[in-house]
Amino acid sequence: MKKMQKSVVVDHLCRVEGHGGINVTIEDGKVVRVEMDIFEGTRFLEALVVGRSYNEIPPILSRICAICSAVHTITSLMAIEDAFDTKVSSQTKLLRDLLVQGGNIESHALHLFCLALPDFLGYSGAFTLVSDHPQEVKIGLELKKLGNTIQETIGGRAVHPVNAILGGFGKVPTKETLLRLKEELIKGLEEALTAIEFIASLEIPNFSQSPTVYAALGSSAQEYCLFGDKIIFSGGESKEIESYKEICNETVVPHSHAKQSHFKGKPFMVGALARVMLNGHKLNSEAKKAKEKLGLDSPTENILHNNTAQAIEIIYSIERSIQIIDEIVEKGIKDEKLVKIKPKAGQGTAAAEAPRGTLYHSYTFDKEGRVTKADVITPTAQNLANAEKDFRASAERLINEPEEGLRAKLEMVARAYDPCISCSVHLEKMGT
Amino acid sequence: MAKPKVGVFGMTGCAGEQIVILNCEDELMDILKVLDIRSFHTAMSKNDEKCDLDITFVEGAVVQPEEEVLLKEIRKRSRLLIALGTCAVWGGVAAMKNEVSRQRLKDEVYGPRGQIFKSIPAQPLHSFVKVDFSISGCPIEKEQFLQAVGALVHGDIPVLPKYAVCTECKMNENTCLLLEKGELCLGPITVAGCNARCLSYGIPCSGCRGPVEEANIASEVEILKEKGFTLGDIHNQLRTFAAPAEVLQTHFAKR
Repeated sequence: MKKMQKSVVVDHLCRVEGHGGINVTIEDGKVVRVEMDIFEGTRFLEALVVGRSYNEIPPILSRICAICSAVHTITSLMAIEDAFDTKVSSQTKLLRDLLVQGGNIESHALHLFCLALPDFLGYSGAFTLVSDHPQEVKIGLELKKLGNTIQETIGGRAVHPVNAILGGFGKVPTKETLLRLKEELIKGLEEALTAIEFIASLEIPNFSQSPTVYAALGSSAQEYCLFGDKIIFSGGESKEIESYKEICNETVVPHSHAKQSHFKGKPFMVGALARVMLNGHKLNSEAKKAKEKLGLDSPTENILHNNTAQAIEIIYSIERSIQIIDEIVEKGIKDEKLVKIKPKAGQGTAAAEAPRGTLYHSYTFDKEGRVTKADVITPTAQNLANAEKDFRASAERLINEPEEGLRAKLEMVARAYDPCISCSVHLEKMGT
Repeated sequence: MAKPKVGVFGMTGCAGEQIVILNCEDELMDILKVLDIRSFHTAMSKNDEKCDLDITFVEGAVVQPEEEVLLKEIRKRSRLLIALGTCAVWGGVAAMKNEVSRQRLKDEVYGPRGQIFKSIPAQPLHSFVKVDFSISGCPIEKEQFLQAVGALVHGDIPVLPKYAVCTECKMNENTCLLLEKGELCLGPITVAGCNARCLSYGIPCSGCRGPVEEANIASEVEILKEKGFTLGDIHNQLRTFAAPAEVLQTHFAKR
């Protein structure tokens, strides 16, 4: 007898960055195949930088992605400095942290308010949502702007920062500039806290619930942090950052231009939800209260809560930014010269928490400081296998749902990951 | 008067131009009052895939055959097609080594499994379709985009500077990084519009906006050679953002 087969296809995912789709095949009432297609074109950037001098690398690789360009830049700088044993000042580290927090606020605000929120309220996007919910969209845009103001003030540009360079900053911001920024942050915090009340009132469906392994950077620091010294997992395991390739054992899959990652044979999730699940106990003050208010103080395996985790992180990133400014101003801001770079042959690896999860950059240099091999592993690439697991769980639970509804819900799952598809199409040398 | 019907599309790139549009936080609601946005996949669902468009913005470079087809379809639907950003205008970073075969890059990066998709050397939009107007930049400057929208809704063609970043830098009274500090600065041959952004942070121009009209590449290269840079390093920098530009191709062909 011929099997009853139907395919649920999302041709072109909307309200995500880049070009991708979803393909679910259901046969005799069972989900038999699930694929997240990535059809963004490949740019071979990591192969193209081979032969280039070390100082040319960060601005080129920041072009992997506009929305994560700040954290790409910083991770790239850290990987080069790791290779050449360059030690930057504590002020530089704080300013880099501030820049990365700016990127986190901007990216989360864009995703949460403009891209994901319309799903929960039944709109096609922020442009239509704004007519009935002007206040929420306005707060979202204000917070997004706040993140961009940080990136412009510290990085010199909201997209592809220019001021963060090897050994420090082209121009160190003045005390007055930082204090003005702090005023904006204090205003932004108030707005963000109003938004938390609204987010808390949303109903988060649980059709995508499924057992999940979380991964994020862990650190010995007392406080929640977007940097770290090892990779930690929800099963309690941990790994050195340098051995990231063991978990990002990337597989090329026929339906996608991006590669996939597994840990101990299982997919894993990186991103705001993974961070809150693994490091949430380190949150303080308003971010801690937001976590309780949004119900994330107990474990969840529902990817739709990545949206709520982003709301918590917006609060965290604003509070952390204020804290950084206070610390720099208290110590007295210094117009530091750049640390001199002494290129040598070797390898350098660095990781940071990008808005969508752990980002790795790793380079090998010859003795003149020219790249012989470059490798970048982005969060979205790591999340693809886990997203397919969640599509499967959702489709199985919603098997009797009319096709249109199922398609919309699968899109919601995809969007919850806040996928950055430009980022995920990235490249590494195989088998060498 | 009816609002112009507008589409925003992306070929391959970092989505920087679409992000810059969404970064117009203070102006976004006003933009919606004057433009009827019919297609903008990054920002909304329920896009109209068929309607005729008055103004179409396209970012990114063409790097796969499917994009060439899509771009030609978009062109047919559009009265005005505007290339946004250095990838769309000049090919961008993906085009820096177009002379290396895509097959070799695929083999290096994906191994035998790389056969599953097609890839072509990265090209700007004008290699495939007529482009009515170009706004370069990596990413574009928000102000230039807003000025362009303002001009277009009034039926005007936007006006962009035709001089070099070097001119803006001098007007800002910065110390010359090329002549006085001997740094590899492409300000003299790069089109203005960023108000010499990098230079005001003491960082040399990397040429991210692409070449200015009638750029004197030979003279720039001579100065850089005098400053001690090797031809290899100079050419690497020249290739980074706008390698397919005719003025650069002519220069490379002479070497």
